[in-house]
This record gives sequence, C-alpha cells and structure tokens, in this order.
Amino acid sequence: MKIPAVTPTTLLAAGLLIYPLIFSGPFYLDIGVTFLLAAISASAWNIVGGYTGQVSVGHAMFFGLGAYAPLLCYTLFQWAPIAGIPFGIVFSIVLAVLIGIPTFRLTGHYFSMATIAVAELIRIYFGTWDLVGAAIGLQGPATARGWWDLTFRSELPYYYIFLAVLAVLLRLTFLIERRRFGYYLRAIKAGERAARSLGVPVQQIKIKALILSAVFTSLAGSLYSVKTGFIDPESGFGILVSVQMVIIAALGGAGKLYGPLVGALILIPLQTATNTWFGGGGTGLTFILYGGIIVLIARYEPGGLFELWERIAPRGWRRKNAS
Amino acid sequence: MLLLQVIVGGLLLGAIYALFSSGLTLIWGMMNFINFAHGEFVMLGMYVSLLVVMWLGGGPAAFGFAAAFSLFVLGVFVYLSLIRYVLRGPMLSQILSTFGLALLLRYTAFWIFSANFVSLPQTSLSGTLNVGGVLMPVPQLVAGVIAILLTIGLHLMLTRTKVGSQLLAVSEDRGAAMLMGIRPDRMQALAWGLSAGAAGIAGALMAIAYPWSPSVGETFGLTAFVVVALGGFGSVPGALLAGLIIGLIQALSAFWFGPIYKDIIVYALFVALLWLRPQGLMGKA
Amino acid sequence: MLLEAHKVSKAFGSFFAVREADLSVDEGEIVGLIGPNGAGKSTFFNCLAGDTVPTEGKIVFAGHDMTDASPEAHARAGIGRTFQVPATFEDMTVLENVMVGAYLRHPHHNDARDLARQTIELTGLRTQTDLPARSLGTPGRKRLEIARVLATAPRLMLLDESLAGLTPTELKEAIGLVRKIHEKGVTIVIVEHVMEVIMTLARRVLAFNQGHVIASGKPEEVVRDEAVIDAYLGRGRHTHRRRST
Repeated sequence: MKIPAVTPTTLLAAGLLIYPLIFSGPFYLDIGVTFLLAAISASAWNIVGGYTGQVSVGHAMFFGLGAYAPLLCYTLFQWAPIAGIPFGIVFSIVLAVLIGIPTFRLTGHYFSMATIAVAELIRIYFGTWDLVGAAIGLQGPATARGWWDLTFRSELPYYYIFLAVLAVLLRLTFLIERRRFGYYLRAIKAGERAARSLGVPVQQIKIKALILSAVFTSLAGSLYSVKTGFIDPESGFGILVSVQMVIIAALGGAGKLYGPLVGALILIPLQTATNTWFGGGGTGLTFILYGGIIVLIARYEPGGLFELWERIAPRGWRRKNAS
Repeated sequence: MLLLQVIVGGLLLGAIYALFSSGLTLIWGMMNFINFAHGEFVMLGMYVSLLVVMWLGGGPAAFGFAAAFSLFVLGVFVYLSLIRYVLRGPMLSQILSTFGLALLLRYTAFWIFSANFVSLPQTSLSGTLNVGGVLMPVPQLVAGVIAILLTIGLHLMLTRTKVGSQLLAVSEDRGAAMLMGIRPDRMQALAWGLSAGAAGIAGALMAIAYPWSPSVGETFGLTAFVVVALGGFGSVPGALLAGLIIGLIQALSAFWFGPIYKDIIVYALFVALLWLRPQGLMGKA
Repeated sequence: MLLEAHKVSKAFGSFFAVREADLSVDEGEIVGLIGPNGAGKSTFFNCLAGDTVPTEGKIVFAGHDMTDASPEAHARAGIGRTFQVPATFEDMTVLENVMVGAYLRHPHHNDARDLARQTIELTGLRTQTDLPARSLGTPGRKRLEIARVLATAPRLMLLDESLAGLTPTELKEAIGLVRKIHEKGVTIVIVEHVMEVIMTLARRVLAFNQGHVIASGKPEEVVRDEAVIDAYLGRGRHTHRRRST
C-alpha cells in the first residue's frame, strides 16, 4: 500500500478519523458530531455564498426541508427515516429553482432578501400546519426496528457517517474548483458583467450552484433529524440555523475549500463553551456574539481567517504547503 | 361596518410602514444598498420612546423627538464607522455588515428588555372616535395621520429644498455632484441619519398605538423590503402608496384568514412580487 | 459584411443617447469610433456588445440578428469586448482570468489552460502569469482584458478605450499588440480618444456627436471634417448632456 504524502489535507483527514478514538467520551463525541454537521452545512452554503458570491441568509429553508422529510415519512408511512432523505433533496431542489429563477436576474440584494423571506414564510407556516406537527414538530422512531432506523445508542456511528458525507462534499468542491464550473463561479463573484461578456451563462451557473448547495444543505438537515430523532420549525427553519452557516463559512473564509472547516473548528467549541457558561441565556448572548463577529468580518476581513492567514504567513511556508 | 373599520385600521398602520420604508428606499436609491438592520432601527425607536416615558415621564412630543434624534445620530454613526467602508467592498461584506448589525441590535434588545411584549402606558392620546359608525382608536389615528404627513414632508424635503437636491444629485451621479462641490460622503452620512431618523420616529408613532417586543424588528425589516420593492426602489411617493397597500392587505388577510396570516401574507407578497414584477408599481423594467 | 448596425437608436426616457447610427464592418477591417465625451459612442458600443438593447434599429452579425441578444450570446457568436474601466477579476490570477475566457471554446481544464498560456505569451504577460490581477497597474489590466477576450477566439473585437492612459512606450507596444491580433484575422472596432491610435490603426473612422454619426471615412478626412472639429471644440454643443454610459 502506497503511503500517502504528509500534507495538511492528509493530516486533517487522519486527525478527523482518529479523533473519536482518542476523545471517546460522549461529551467530546457530541462536539465532534456537531462540528461535522456544522462543517457540512457551512461547506454547502459556501458553494453558492462563498464561491459564487450569492449571499443566502435563509439557507435554513433547505436544511429544514431536509430535516422534516425523513421524520415525516416515518410519521406518515412508518418508513425508515433515511428513505425520506431523497424527498427532502427533491423539495429543496424545487425550492432552489423557484427562488433562483426570478431573483438571480436582479442584483444580489434581491436574492438575499428573498432567502430571508422564504425561510421565515416556511417556518411560520410549518408552525401552523398540523400535517408536520405544527409548533410541536415531529419525532423519529423511539427504538430501532432494525439497523435501517439508524437509532444508535452511541454517537460514534453518526460521527463516521457525517465524516463520510463531509469528505464527499469537500472532494466535490475540490473538483469543482479545478474545473470550468468553479472558474465560472468565481468569475461571477468577481464581476458578473465581465463574466457575461466572456460567454459565461451567468443565470444558469448561479442556479446550478444554488441547487448543488441546496442538495447538500438538505442532506445535512436530514442527517441532523435522523440523529436527533426530533425536529420542529425553530430547529429546522430558524434563523440561528441560517446564521450559523453564514458565520462559520465567512469566519473561516468564504470561497475557500477549507474555510468552513476552519470556521467550524473555532466556532463550535466556542459555542459549546458559551452555552455551558451562560446556560439558558446562552442563546441570546450567542446571537449578540455572532452579530458582532459578522460585523467585524464584514468591516475588516471579508475574506475570513484564511485570507488573514494568506496575508500574514511567510510566503515560503505557504508555498511549500500549497495543495 | 366592521370591514370599513378593518380597512381604516390597515391604512393607518400602512401609513407608518410608509414612513419607515421611505428611509429604506432613500438609502437604496442613493447608494444601491439595502440596510438589513432597518427594522431594528424602528424597534429601537420604540424602546427609546418607552425609556423616555419611564425615566423622564415625557409625553408623545418628547419621545417622538428623542426617538428621531437618537436614531438619526445612530444612523450617521453606523454610516461613518461601518457602511462607507463596506460600500467599496464585495457584496458579501455589504450584506453581512447590516445583517450582522441587525442581529447585534435585536439580541441586545432581547437581552436588555426580554422577549415580553410591552406597550406605552396611557398617554394623553386615548379614547376612540366614532366617525360615521366607524370606530377609530385615537392613538392609531394620530399615529397614522402624522406618519402620512411626515412621509410627504420627507418627499418635499428631498424634492424642494437645497439639501434635498444635493442628496438626489449624489444618488444620480456621484461624479457630477462632486464636480459641483457637493461632498458625497457627507450627503451619504446625512441620508443615513435621515433614514434612521425616519425609522426612529416611525417607531415612536408605532409605540403610541401598538404593543411590541424586540422581535418586531425582523418583521418590520421585511415589511420595509416589500414596501420598497412594491413602490419602486428609490421612490418615496412609491413607498407611501405601497405602504398603504401593504397595510391594507395585511389587515384584510388577518380579518378574513386569521391573525397568523398577518406576517405570512407579507412574505408571500414579496415572493410573488419578485416573480411577477420586481420593478414594483412605479418602476421601469 | 461581418457586422451591420442599421439605424440604431437608444433612448433613456426622452433622452436619445444614440440616434439612428449606422455602421457596417467588413471582415478584416479596423474601424475607429471617435467623438467627444457624451457623444454616444460608448452607448452605441454597448449596443453592439449586447450590454444594452437598442430602442430602435437592428444589429446583424455574420448573418445573425443580434439586436436583442444577451452579452453571453454575443461572446458565443464571436463578438468580444473590453471595458472602458478594466473589469478584470481582481482576486484571480492573470492565468485564471484568461482561462475564464478560454473556457468558452475549450470546456476541459487542460485545453483551456494551454490556450490561456499561449494567449498570455502572445500578449506579453508571461512574467505576471501567477500574479493576482489586482497587482497589475492599469496598463497591465487593460492588457489582461485584451488577453482574456482574445482567449474566447472572437471574430470581432470591440475595444473600449483600451489604449487610453498609456505612456508612449506602452502605447507603441499596445498598438503593436492590436496589429498582431488583427493579423491573426480578428476584425476590430475601436473606441478611442488617443488620435495616434486612430490614425495609425484605423482604416475607417466614424465620428459621433450628440448621438449622431456626423462623419465617416478615412481617418485623415474625418479628422479634418468641419462638423467633427466643431464637435470637439464646442461650437454648437451648448446643451448640457448627461453622461451616456
């Protein structure tokens, strides 16, 4: 077996693989799982928000659809929740197209506003819709009927499932970066008018990016509700879900492959810490903190920590480690 | 009769929407920028009013002025410390800047004032007028009428005064305005002050007539988007008309379908607008 | 007739930025557009490039009606353009910028990259290949724009003041570059203020003023045309016009 070269990527992969073996207590495992989920969502957001520059602040709409679908299929038809995952994805794709087509013709603000409006619309509506449990929400199987229910006692299996999904998403993003699609995404972000003049089919590309992003965000939502066994309008479509994706990606580096990962690495432990210290009032203060961080990022370092690193780190060290 | 009452109520609320939305449309028209924290400015205006009443025992005139003034200052401050830097930057930072600001303001308010709904103690404006069988609560009536007057006043200020034409000059053609000796930076700061001030005083008017909590900022922000989108970005008269229409639609929806639909209808209207007529009622395609 | 614009008008409200302008360009020509600021040449240019849709008139390219066509469709058909204020992709390297252009005809990464490298070589940008576009000065950016659009293999190139603001040496190089591109078979329409460029490169010139084409013909003739001199010097140009974009 050929031993892979030691690069930051392989170190990262190795680290993530053995993390649960070293930090095996339920508390650490939970942080690990939360971290992975956050990294997946933020990396999915990154495709349309970071690379293409179309800032969605209501991405929870896809997360929520993905989260509700499995539990809805279980509640209505007694299916295994994972059977519901494709439905979440399909609904998310439809929603992405419905939003993208009218708004991508207009300036970026319309898209951003539309994402807030639609996410809120769905959240409020689901809160009144009895089919999906209204304000109470839905639950998954209490005990496993078979392996397919994915109700594990320990979080360890979830950890590796989520890790696999993250790996697939990052690999896909990596491939995109090096192909025409990725170049076109970045061109759109850098200058739509110029991109058009070079033949870039801007409208089409934006919609494709949104669809791709929606698919993985939906998947993240599905993973979340399958693991937690519970979903309600707030945890599915709430603004915290949208904000978290944005801030994690923006903090680490929007438009960079590992940006969301870096952001999650910092923010998830931070969030866990503030929740522990501030207890119940934690969520309110968390938002204040998030708001402040977002403003600072916007004002001083829109490229996130990655860009900061690129500016500060000595050139030689960086070039040696360029992947 | 009840229907007529609902209609009047909707229009009066819509007038306040028109007032604060004018502020948003002014900024958009001038610098192609959407302030995602605009709803929070309205919300702050409401709390300033509360504080003035509670601590200083002031009446409507006092807290109206206080709200307008404090928000004006805040608007200028936000422009000078944040907005003018992100204007030159990528779209991501433009959108994140006021979005983050909105979170900051909203949750700080939650932290300080809690999530409970509050309302102003009885002011000198109370009671209900009976106009030809239609019952109109005095607070709502006064708030709505003043809002319309102020909105018209804003429009007149922009179109008839020297300062107003300077503001418009900068939004039309920055370069030309500079050549005429107008300082765009100053005008933009002023615009932010006016925009926030309009929001603040709209908040004070709102506070006279309706209860609120820190959560209203988000709803007002979205309402303002819809009004501005419907009325045409940059048009204050458009905002006036659109605000009244939105208020009306909201009242009728709540009346016919239930109070839950009050917010849903606004968001749904926005989405429909994007699909069917993004340039608004008064805009050009 | 490679490009034919027939009675093209563009109105913004009641203001006509361009009024019944005609232009025909044969394959292999270099045509210049001159005129004072606000004369309408940039707006006309944008109509040709698909950035603006004319209010009236028709534009036909290689037999296809391009009047309503999008900028992307223009690029695919073989019309490329540069921008008056260079619109390079600042955060991307020179190579990446040119690759975006190259990808139009070469969807595969390696082919696009090879073509981009060749184009960079041709346009003299080799030493800056891996530098971010923002590190280039304005002349470098203009050159990058030309390289980028060249990579789309256009039949017709619309150059919007791409040679403005250059030092005499840079100007000579730039003129040489345009000649090289022309020799490869690209037809060129160039908007320029710099007279040297017009006189040395253009075989034919159109002069604009207040939205009209006021003169057309050989550069030496047009430059001496009375109406053109009037337009530049200000006689009969008293109405204050908004800057046409």
